[in-house]
Amino acid sequence: MAENRGGANGGPQYNPANVSGTGGAGQSGNYTGFGYGKNQEVNNQRVQGNQAMASAQAATPSAPQDPYQGINMPQLGTLFDPTSRPDEPITAGVDFGPGPGSEVLPQGLMNNTRIDENAKIAAQYLPDLAMAAKSPDAPDSFKNFVNYLIQNSQSATQNG
Amino acid sequence: MADSIWMPGSLFDNIDKFANSLGYQNSAIAIELAMMSWKSPDERDAFITSITGEDPKGGTEKNYIKQNF
Repeated sequence: MAENRGGANGGPQYNPANVSGTGGAGQSGNYTGFGYGKNQEVNNQRVQGNQAMASAQAATPSAPQDPYQGINMPQLGTLFDPTSRPDEPITAGVDFGPGPGSEVLPQGLMNNTRIDENAKIAAQYLPDLAMAAKSPDAPDSFKNFVNYLIQNSQSATQNG
Repeated sequence: MADSIWMPGSLFDNIDKFANSLGYQNSAIAIELAMMSWKSPDERDAFITSITGEDPKGGTEKNYIKQNF
């Protein structure tokens, strides 16, 4: 009775299309194919390089899992959480409503981008807003607002 | 029949209220706030009052269909 032992096991080494990246049979990881006497020299360099890399990695401290460990950061809330500054009006720092206006903001920290934002949003929505303003039920206050946007967009176009 | 786009709480009604309450110079902010999903016109108006300290501006009563429940 024949025993099922030995013989080809169907491994990748039997596939003729497989090519070893290290040259040769690719089983040992050693480089082959260099000139006479050079194979040993190249492989010694590889071994030394691997050892140097291993020691360098061992000497490098790993990054801490929590980079902010030890720093007391306040918990970030959501937009709808109660204010953490109950004594400060919600409009502090803007030019309407209670509280100080934009003069209390640090100088030079922010550019006034409001004009650009207004022009951009006017260009984007003005056609629809103008259409709504033509409705017989449109309030005068809305028509005034649309007229303001039209005037602003025209002056912005003239100023380039 | 009143145009439905001017119902209280509609987008254009919101724009009207925010633009006239915050000032036309804040039109970008006003339009963005108007696009938020407000639960009701009352909630929107309460928000406007909280940030301006005044009653909401804009609109007129004749534009609205008052519903009494």
